[in-house]
Amino acid sequence: MRNYENLVIVKPTLTAEEIQASISAIEEVITSNGGEIAARDAMGMRKLAYQLGKNERGYFHVIYYSAAPSAISEIERRFRINEDLLRFVTIKYDTNREVAAWNQLVQKANKKASAPAAEAKTEDVEVATEATETVAEVAEASAE
Amino acid sequence: MAERRKYKKRYCKYCEAKVDFMDYKDVGALRFSLSERYKIMPRRLTGNCKRHQDMISTVIKRARAAALVPYTVTRKTVVTAPFENLK
Repeated sequence: MRNYENLVIVKPTLTAEEIQASISAIEEVITSNGGEIAARDAMGMRKLAYQLGKNERGYFHVIYYSAAPSAISEIERRFRINEDLLRFVTIKYDTNREVAAWNQLVQKANKKASAPAAEAKTEDVEVATEATETVAEVAEASAE
Repeated sequence: MAERRKYKKRYCKYCEAKVDFMDYKDVGALRFSLSERYKIMPRRLTGNCKRHQDMISTVIKRARAAALVPYTVTRKTVVTAPFENLK
């Protein structure tokens, strides 16, 4: 087993549920090939540094996992078939120093996932209220 | 000589901070070794040591592949506020 990290960029044109579904499908690809997911880090919707297939933005998601080295080619093959992905980057953490860094990154990602869960909920509520407000504004504008 | 004075030869900042590993997702940290046009700054200008220059060049190349950092900035694709989304 060796430690790896995969960054995937999902198409921004999908809805939030579709993005989550495609991410769980990606994780399923990793686990079905004998990978153990250690941590995941949702970087969220970001602006791309350059266009990828006419897309300006993309949903970034990072998965830290350990898998057998022979499984990587199959995982990458499945990623290439997947049309929801704009881009993926696989990084190998092999030397002792890199493995230590991988452990730190996993800890950081787990902390980030567990700590701001409460904050994220409140943020979600705020976003939802904002969204309803904008919807109401739009409705008013159209009524006028 | 004038060109030489523009950039003073410096010590390696990464050695001073004892950097063992760089993360390609941490784009703000890569800024030091990138030029305005997102080229990798040469060692003679930044003063990085060979070891850290090798590390930073692989990390920048990874970040480019992950669309976190542009490969090139031309007049057509000029960024109005560079490093604005690098947080």
